[in-house]
Amino acid sequence: MISQEEFEGFVRDYNEDYKLLLTRASKRHYDCLITSFMVLKDFYNMIQVSYDTGQYTFKELPYPFSFRADYVLLRTLGFDDEGIANIFGFLHFVKETQGMEFEACLEAGTLAMCARVV
Amino acid sequence: MSQEAIAAVIEAHIDRLIETWIAAVRDDTRIQSDAMLSKPELIDHVPAIVHQICELIRKNETPDVRNSDEARANVYVRFHQGYKGRDLIRELSLLRITLLEHIADISSDEDVTADHESSQKAARIVNLYLDEEMRYAISVYGSASE
Repeated sequence: MISQEEFEGFVRDYNEDYKLLLTRASKRHYDCLITSFMVLKDFYNMIQVSYDTGQYTFKELPYPFSFRADYVLLRTLGFDDEGIANIFGFLHFVKETQGMEFEACLEAGTLAMCARVV
Repeated sequence: MSQEAIAAVIEAHIDRLIETWIAAVRDDTRIQSDAMLSKPELIDHVPAIVHQICELIRKNETPDVRNSDEARANVYVRFHQGYKGRDLIRELSLLRITLLEHIADISSDEDVTADHESSQKAARIVNLYLDEEMRYAISVYGSASE
């Protein structure tokens, strides 16, 4: 059982990592980014499932994991037009290199990625 | 008609559905927070929500905390837009009505021949998804006021 303080630490860590991954995408550092997003998605789910139990409160809100077509959200996070275009470019990059949408990759998980590598 | 087909029909009419929903929100005098938003800001995550609902209808998957990311994103953005909690709940209610009426139209369309069971399952997923978003919204807005 984790404490409220530990939970808040998880949310802070998640938010930092999420912003870092988006920043990488905004600078077109796309290599291995999908794998990082897969890991972070698990972390995000853990936070939301824990929160859903009603035992914790958010001192700060976790960033929403979804950013597809969300210009408003990305603006809120401080990205400029070029950065936002590069973030959306990452979604195209995933489709081209993986043959499926970003969300489908996340759902398929690392097993699918490993199968592709083998 | 299968749930796959119902999802396809909803997605084929998504622009019209969003326009219907926008008109309902703008016309609702009890919703005040929308006045400060442009049309793109108001639309924001709603098309993504409809697509995610359609995906769940296709798979006949029950909405839960793990497969409703777009709902949570919508709550996050609305909260940071300064939208009132009660206005968010009302606009979600209007989205529910818009989607359920569309599913009813699909079911009664003689050209489409929808079966009752598939329509019922699709409506159940719409309800559970939007309930999931409302549950999250209430808890986020509630935490903020504590």
